[in-house]
Amino acid sequence: MTARNVYRAVVISVSLWAVGAAAQPAKKTAPAKGAPKKPADLAPEIAELASPDAAVAARAAEMLGTYELPAAHDALLDALALGLTPPVAVPAMTALAAHPAPSDVIALKRYAGHHNPSMRSAALTALATYPDPVARAAIVVGLRDSVGAVRTAAATAAGKGRVRDAVDTMLLLLAKGEESSARALAQLADPDLARKIDDHYGKVPDASLALCLGLLLKRSDFGPDPARVEIVRAMAKIQDPAAVTQLAEYITATPKHPPRPSRQEAELVVDARLGGGK
Amino acid sequence: MTRSIGVAVAVVLALAACGGKAVFRLSSDENNSYELGRSLARRQLPDAPTPINETRQPRLFALTAGASPTAKTIVAYDLGSGNVLWKADADVQSRISVGGDFVVALEGKQLVARDQTRGQPRWRVAVPGKFVGAAADRDRAYLVYQDGSTWWLVGYDGGSGNELWKADAAGELGGPSAHGGVVYVPFLRQWLSIVDGKSGAQLTRLRGLDQEISTLRVTSQTAYYGSKQGMFQLDARSASGRRADATYGQVKIPPQLEGTTYGRGVYDPVQQGYTAAERKRVLWTSTPVESGPMKLGGDGYVIHYFRFLLGFGLDGGLRWAYSQPRVELVASEHTGHVIVGLSTSGDIVAIEPQTGAVRARKSLGTTAPVLGATFDAEGWSPSSQSEPTETVAALVAIARDRDARFDRVKELAVQALAKLPGPEVTSQLLAVLADNRAPQKLKDTVVELLVERRDPGSLPVLTQQLSVHTDYLAQTEPEALGPVAKAIAGLGGLALDGKHVAAALEALQGHLDAPSTAPPDLVQVIGAMAAIGKGAERLALGSHLLLYHSDDDIGGDASWQKAIVIALAKQGGPGERELLRQVAADPRTKPTLATTIRDLLGPD
Repeated sequence: MTARNVYRAVVISVSLWAVGAAAQPAKKTAPAKGAPKKPADLAPEIAELASPDAAVAARAAEMLGTYELPAAHDALLDALALGLTPPVAVPAMTALAAHPAPSDVIALKRYAGHHNPSMRSAALTALATYPDPVARAAIVVGLRDSVGAVRTAAATAAGKGRVRDAVDTMLLLLAKGEESSARALAQLADPDLARKIDDHYGKVPDASLALCLGLLLKRSDFGPDPARVEIVRAMAKIQDPAAVTQLAEYITATPKHPPRPSRQEAELVVDARLGGGK
Repeated sequence: MTRSIGVAVAVVLALAACGGKAVFRLSSDENNSYELGRSLARRQLPDAPTPINETRQPRLFALTAGASPTAKTIVAYDLGSGNVLWKADADVQSRISVGGDFVVALEGKQLVARDQTRGQPRWRVAVPGKFVGAAADRDRAYLVYQDGSTWWLVGYDGGSGNELWKADAAGELGGPSAHGGVVYVPFLRQWLSIVDGKSGAQLTRLRGLDQEISTLRVTSQTAYYGSKQGMFQLDARSASGRRADATYGQVKIPPQLEGTTYGRGVYDPVQQGYTAAERKRVLWTSTPVESGPMKLGGDGYVIHYFRFLLGFGLDGGLRWAYSQPRVELVASEHTGHVIVGLSTSGDIVAIEPQTGAVRARKSLGTTAPVLGATFDAEGWSPSSQSEPTETVAALVAIARDRDARFDRVKELAVQALAKLPGPEVTSQLLAVLADNRAPQKLKDTVVELLVERRDPGSLPVLTQQLSVHTDYLAQTEPEALGPVAKAIAGLGGLALDGKHVAAALEALQGHLDAPSTAPPDLVQVIGAMAAIGKGAERLALGSHLLLYHSDDDIGGDASWQKAIVIALAKQGGPGERELLRQVAADPRTKPTLATTIRDLLGPD
């Protein structure tokens, strides 16, 4: 048995153990169209990925991420299973997530609990790509990390991956004034969640709430407009100047025609605030 | 002692040259079996433990504090009925001694006897020197004082206060004790003089040949004498003067109960009053024996240590514990049937000495702090209360007490706790670890005890303790992760419930995989998984090794390297050893880790 097989066996076994008997072995799915190289051509990069020279290994990881080949994907997965140092693991995880496969999740989850915060952040960022309950759960756990940068990565991942399970936790972080959660909540909110966020008026810092609602208002896919009007009215209650700033940005970003009630409502609020209530 | 005897000899010879009439002499008949037998026979002692007071009712006489140091109050209390008999303001400067129908104490600079029924002063006599101590029996009061270089023992009629006799000593006398018509007076730390209370004549005296005599404890039936080292029971065998040939006893006093003694130091003037020394006492009874050492009643003894009463067996093992809520017990006594204690807040508690069960609770009903008390309660055996023994709760209360004076007692408590089986005890020990205010030394002791405990029933409790993780939002941190893991490791090799092991492994792996687990804790977690896993832990540990084998921080930690390699090499199978070889061969592996692996696996 080669070293690689031993490692792989251990990691796959751990994966099976961790997710239960229903888990499937890694499925080698990588888009085939436009593949620039054949598997045999990858040998140099695969060899370099195991180099003790971190710079060489990192470059190899980045290169492998550009190939839509199962062999490149397997090489990255194997390397992560063997254990990589941060300078190599971070680009390897990014490269892996460039062509996601279900089997990646367990490997990435392993790094989401790594002692090194940059490893955790990279793993959480990568996990955002996977519509997998294990990945989502890992992101929610990451929101409670003791390191702010990791929480930010988790929140960003939650927003990007539309992780609804993370909403309650992010509302708690919003109450602590964490900007990343404000941005993530704005990213994944629908009108119902928007109302839920609005209900936190007085429970979270005004500036954070204003940022969250302002970003939500500016989202082109958020609507219909009556829902935006509700947001504007909610922001009108916020005393922090950040609310006016966000509404002004909304007015600027929205065309005057056709007329949009939410924009008109925002103008009224801004005029009232900046014009001293004329 | 030799030096003090030399000084005493010089003093006595000097006084003899001046023509003084010393009753207590250096040269005198001593350790005379015949005279001792006659002296003991003269005593008028009850057949059973009985109060001294003429009504034979169990009483206590407490001294409470007033607005100023001289404004104190004597509270006479009937333990049987639970009623206060009387209260009297008095500038009491000594312990209160109880006679048949009077009590006597130093008040200001006078020896004052009060009517025991109503508390009114009956007679007063001036103390013409430095007060050393006082005592009483049913009919008389006795006073020892020092005047210059002469010590005096004086007998007074309890009814009138008339001086009956007076005996001088050219060497130091200790505070006296009395019962049944005789007075016991320690002399020059080496002798115990037995004096006829009626005439003042010395009946006989005992000399301690291998131990000084500086402590006295006298009950209605028995006199004990000795020192901090141990106590003699006064009987016919006392004439030997030696521990081996007399009825002598020593109990095992745990080192944590520092300063505990068998009785008041008779040469310490401070201890002739109510002091904190009263709160560190061995309490015991004994039964007569013809030969051998002293035989303790109930095959055990009790130690009163401030707020706590602790019952011990003859082997020194803790039988039970009682913790007085909130305040200290300022006085205690063994009545022959119960240990009775009085707290600073006036609460009275009676405890069964063999089991620790509470037999009675009463209250003086005073709002003033109690300074001390004298019990006249020999034979008291209340049964109004029947509270079960709450030793675990008491030990927990001791262990978690905030009072820094008791840090060593807390160690004793956790040691005793750890000897008790059951998950509840483990929970309580873990609570000590989780207590931020507990002293580190105590925590260290608890950790060792948890490991030594090896109680399979505690595994679920230990697992439960692992449920807390680092959580920024909940503001939680694992509590005592390393010690808990170490305790789990201590269960290795014992028969454990399979479900409990599975749950423990899952919880341990949660910390193995957690980013916040520090290397010292990781080492313990790895050790615990290897100890109880029986192979189920190998995959998780193998994955952990791979994740960190090239890591600068954890991978470079020597203790982690050793723990993970041992866990996989010794607990694992061929697959794990092959994995280790491959890791050692990987050029990215931390060099010291590779060396550790090679060292452990050997050349092949």
